[in-house]
Amino acid sequence: MGKLLILAVYATYAAFWIRFYAHILVWRRAVRQNPQPASAGAPLGGKACALAVRDVLFFRRLIMVNPALWVGEWVFHASFPLVLARHLRFFLNPIPPLVWYLQTPGLIAGYLLPLSLLYILIIRLCTKHEKYASPANIFLLCLVLVISAIGLLMQAQFKPDLVDAKLFIYGIMSFAPAAVPGSVLFMIHFLLVLVLVSFLPTHIVTGPIIMLEARKREQALQLVIHEK
Amino acid sequence: MKNKRSFIEELLPRQILEIDACTLCGECLKHCPVQDVTGNPAVSPPEKIRMFREFIRATDGLKARIFGPSEADRKLLEDFVNAVYECTTCGACGQSCTVGIFTQRLWPALRKEMVKRGLGPIGVQANMPKAIRNSGNPYDKPAVDRYKPWFPETVKVAERAAVAYYAGCTGAYEAQPMVIGDVLVLNAIGEPFTMLSPEDEVCCGFPLFISGQHDELKDLITRLVNGYKAKGVTVLVCSCPCCVNIMARDWPLFYGEALPFKIRHITQYVLDAVKKGKLRLSKELHESVIYHDPCYLSRGVGVIEEPRAVLRSIPGIRVLEFERHGLNSQCCGSGGAARKVFHENAIAMGRKTIDEAVAKKANRLILSCPACYAKVNEAMKGHANQIQITDIMELVSGLI
Repeated sequence: MGKLLILAVYATYAAFWIRFYAHILVWRRAVRQNPQPASAGAPLGGKACALAVRDVLFFRRLIMVNPALWVGEWVFHASFPLVLARHLRFFLNPIPPLVWYLQTPGLIAGYLLPLSLLYILIIRLCTKHEKYASPANIFLLCLVLVISAIGLLMQAQFKPDLVDAKLFIYGIMSFAPAAVPGSVLFMIHFLLVLVLVSFLPTHIVTGPIIMLEARKREQALQLVIHEK
Repeated sequence: MKNKRSFIEELLPRQILEIDACTLCGECLKHCPVQDVTGNPAVSPPEKIRMFREFIRATDGLKARIFGPSEADRKLLEDFVNAVYECTTCGACGQSCTVGIFTQRLWPALRKEMVKRGLGPIGVQANMPKAIRNSGNPYDKPAVDRYKPWFPETVKVAERAAVAYYAGCTGAYEAQPMVIGDVLVLNAIGEPFTMLSPEDEVCCGFPLFISGQHDELKDLITRLVNGYKAKGVTVLVCSCPCCVNIMARDWPLFYGEALPFKIRHITQYVLDAVKKGKLRLSKELHESVIYHDPCYLSRGVGVIEEPRAVLRSIPGIRVLEFERHGLNSQCCGSGGAARKVFHENAIAMGRKTIDEAVAKKANRLILSCPACYAKVNEAMKGHANQIQITDIMELVSGLI
């Protein structure tokens, strides 16, 4: 079982990078076939970069069009990395002070994460003014909701043996299979994370690039036919 | 015969990233004018992107790289062609996009890919290249009638001048009160201006560009640019937002170098004349007017304040705003050559524009685009709500 799980982890990890690489190949082909026209790009300035960082961190474009959804999305996206950071204690030895420092914020984020996902799903599926819900997005939201809910259950009630869990993770990282922890919830949690990695949307990489492009374009709009 | 041509050949690298970056959140649907009148999410921006991702996967995805490209699903392609051509390319979806995808440029690029595959354009759009080759305009009207039926006898056109005026096909053949207003105002400003002959002032290329038919563009644009260059032009003035958009954004690319003249929308030129005292609007107008931003003027080239400033320079006038205006303006239904095929959609969108103008208690609906002018006037025929529709230069020319 342990070896099978390790195989599944490495297969998922490899599939993730192959998928990512396939996207890069498509983009590289586009660059070769149809290079960006020299006069079409807007200049990249420090201000555009700074504003784009703000856009990415605070989802400015979303708050402008849907403040109600923004609340849920921002809490979700802010709590997700904190929860991930809290999980670093399973991967690192010795545990860096920063990871220790992030344990409490990570714990709070762990409670906020499923709540924010529930809120997003309610807004997406139950409010009349939402005209479109992508099945792929709903699937991902539900998946993360289940993963986070199980995580919360393990934190609050059905605690797995943390030493076993850490040894198991270490075994994966060092190609030396360790015993699978006895907690069923842990295994479901772990397997669903592998499913999540397989379906991770690539917009988490390309989205910020396009936000920067949008900022550059916004700044350049007044230069199209106005005096420079 | 199977078509396994790559789906990314006509796309810029940035546009590949844009297709990847769409989160399929669906926020754009609330701003899409086609959604407003059809209520059909199958023709929505995220669905178009989702379908196009499938096509890219079929010809350029991992499986295609290992086992060779496969043909895209026929039914999906048909749905996509319908969706991408039903769009007015107004770009409101891009303006409301939570990532910031430049859809006003993406949809025409996807249309170009469909044309290369022999799947687009649709309906009468396919006749445009032949019509332009034949008569210089997409309406296939005689070149000799381009100026003759409407050009005021009192207006003098210089043989050579620093300023040139491009009337545009839609203005010249379909929205003549607008171009009459243009030349009357230019004449009143007093600066000499030149124009190409009716045979030489051919289509700017926008209808071909927007419908994805790019083969004729280089020749058309080179002919026009060289024509103005020969007349010593340094500023080319035009009132059609679509013409202005392609002139400013795409003419340099097709011409192969920077244009030897600047492009200006007529409201920019007129506002400058008002500020310098070259044009005085002496008559008063005690009316409430509402100004509609053409999509390719506001979102396209950022001309938002100038038309309003020109209107505000009229003594006694009150300028009202649509709920959605400026960069967020709502399409009146005339954009993207979709009106030529999806007539009912365009009429329904035009009527929504009229209804809002009437609800705002405006005396006049002010437009500054010949396509909007022609289509919104058409939409008003037989409609319960009626309002006086006036082009901005038509209005200004009557107040000098």
